[in-house]
This record gives sequence, structure tokens and C-alpha cells, in this order.
Amino acid sequence: MPKDNKPKIFTKIRGNRLGFWFFEFFLKAFGLRGAYALLYGVALHYLLFDREAVLGALSYIKRRFPPGKSFLKNRLHVYRLFVSQGKQLIDRFAVLSGRNLFDIKLKGYDELVALLSEKNNGFILLTAHLGNWQIALTTLKNMHKPVYLMMRPEDNPAVKESLKIDGQDSFIRIISPDGYLGGVVEAMNILRSGGILSIMGDRRYGFEGIGVSFLNDEAYFPFGAFSIAAASNLPVVVLLSAKLPGNKYVVDVSNILYPRYNSPKDKKEQLKKYLEEFVGILEKYTLEYPYQCFLFHDVWS
Amino acid sequence: MEDNKEQELKAIRKKLKELLVSHLSLEDIKPEEIKDDEILFGEGLGLDSLDAVEIVVLLQRNFGLEVKDMNQGRKIFYSVDTLANYIYENKK
Repeated sequence: MPKDNKPKIFTKIRGNRLGFWFFEFFLKAFGLRGAYALLYGVALHYLLFDREAVLGALSYIKRRFPPGKSFLKNRLHVYRLFVSQGKQLIDRFAVLSGRNLFDIKLKGYDELVALLSEKNNGFILLTAHLGNWQIALTTLKNMHKPVYLMMRPEDNPAVKESLKIDGQDSFIRIISPDGYLGGVVEAMNILRSGGILSIMGDRRYGFEGIGVSFLNDEAYFPFGAFSIAAASNLPVVVLLSAKLPGNKYVVDVSNILYPRYNSPKDKKEQLKKYLEEFVGILEKYTLEYPYQCFLFHDVWS
Repeated sequence: MEDNKEQELKAIRKKLKELLVSHLSLEDIKPEEIKDDEILFGEGLGLDSLDAVEIVVLLQRNFGLEVKDMNQGRKIFYSVDTLANYIYENKK
């Protein structure tokens, strides 16, 4: 977790309004397959010219597909990953623009509703850049509660407009981790009033992490979600989604963790087992859906 | 009147320091070693946002208080003194 004067992390801005316009045009004119067709060239462009994105993807690919020695094989995996991500971006855009094209199956939703109705407490929704987390979040709209997403506000205006996040009519609101004390005071107030706080469990945003095993190598993940849950006696619901063949998605909220402290000492160490459990869920996901892991940064460094 | 307020503030500061030492990751520090005006986060005591979570819960459980105005947060969480003043002014 950060000191208040934590360093800022900058990421490269990708995509522009013209690009999004093209995809929208193809989506309207030729449907999903037409828009997908555009992707193969775009993904190739990023594979050849976006070194930062390729290196970000390779850190995952080399561990997911060992021994990872072949230059060409690794590039092919990266290409497939880029195409897969592009498809999910188009799907996300299609859903957010009101097109009902997908059959979305919810796993564990009833248990989640039961958990909510038990007490009027909030909970933490822990997600990651695996699958289509934005589509996954839209499935929670039926809970009729705003979801407060702790993430850096989108710097790219074209992406922000296309995703319709944090707009006046959006049920998703952003809490920036750049706020005072990493936004935790605001986050605690939301939970106390029975709100849903969503945290990206794979982004440290320059904060301290705990080293745990991920794909047979030590990786560093943030533990803020577990510390908030343990301190406020609330559950952590893991939210993951995966694209299936035939315009289908599965959104899984069946994994619920209950981080608690046994003593006031060594709290970070006590949180490690919950983080390991979460990362174990992520690892299982990557084994099942290898081309839907969009971390794109080296969590192992 | 002023004496009463100062006595009460003194008691709140003492309790706060005890709670900070017993609940936060402050190793080898005794409550009486924390200065009233010592900066809590970053420099000074060196607390981080993991500790901030604990302080928010401490305020709620021990004093029934919430910090709703985010703009005030920086001022309130500055030192033991500022926290004690906030508790004194807002206690139920």
C-alpha cells in the first residue's frame, strides 16, 4: 500500500476517435463479424510497432506457454492475445451501445443476491484484467446499486466516450487511487453505506504488493482489497468473465472470500493467504482461457 | 470551561495513541513516544493507506465517527492533534 506521495504511473494512450468511429461503422454495417475482420490488421500493426504492448504481453505468454524459447511461436501467441482482446473490446462497445447480441450466463448470482439481502452491508468486488470485466460489471446493473470502481480515470477521451464509464447515466462511478490516502477513506464510506466497491486486483498503481506464486513464478499483486475487507468485516466477491464460442459469455461471481485478522500483529502476512487464494483463481482461469488474460504489464517484476 | 476541554482533548489523544499502537503496524513504539503534532502519513510516523483503513475503522468503532467530507480528510488525518480535535468537535 502506498505512502501518500506515491509515484504516478503513466501508460501509453492507444486508440483515437477516428479508430473507434471505424469500428462503430463496421459494427453497424456488417455486424460483429465485420468489425472483428478489421481486427486482424489492427492487431498485426500493434504486434509489429507497439513494442511496449508486445513486451507487456510476453511477460505473461512466456510463463503461460513454457518453455517459451521460440521467437515466432511467442509472437503468434501475442498476436492471438491481441486479436482476442480486440474482439472483447468490440463486444464491450456493442453491449454498452445497447446491442443485445450476447447470451450472458451468470454463475453464482443467486448466492450473491442472498449475501446482499442478509444485511444491508456492502461488499468488495475484486476483478482483474482477465476476460471482459466491463461486460461483467454491466450484469450487476440489476442489483440497482451503483458500483464504485477504484481505478485511474481513463486518460484517453476516445476510450472514455466509447465505454460510457462514469457518465451521468452510468451506474459505474470511478474512485481514483490517486486521491488522498489512495481513496481508502472514500472507499470505506461507500462500503459502510452498503455500496459495492470494485477493485482491480492485478493493478498496484505504484502501491506495495505481496509476492505470491502465479504461473510458477513469484508475482506481485496488491492487497488493498483484502485489508479493507478484513478491517471492515466484509466479504470479497471475485468477479471474472470469459468469452465462449457463439457470442456467449460466462460471468462468474461464485468465489467469495472472507478475509479476517487473527491478531493485530503482522497483518500483511495474514492477508497473504487470501491473496494466494485469489491469485490461484486467476491462474486457474488462465489455464482454461489462455488468450483472455489481458494483464499487459509485468506483474512478475 | 477551557480546562475541561483541554482535559478531554488530552484523554482523547492518549486513547488515540494507545489505539494506534495496538492496531497499526507500529513496531517498537510506545504510545507516549508519539508526539501530539507528529505527522501521521508519509513522513513522521510513516503510516500508509493500509493504516488509513484501520484508522477509519478505529474512529467508527471507538468514537462512532465517520469522515464524510473528503476535502476535510487531509486536515483531519494530519496528526494525533488534528484527529483528537475532530473527535472532540464531532463526538456524539
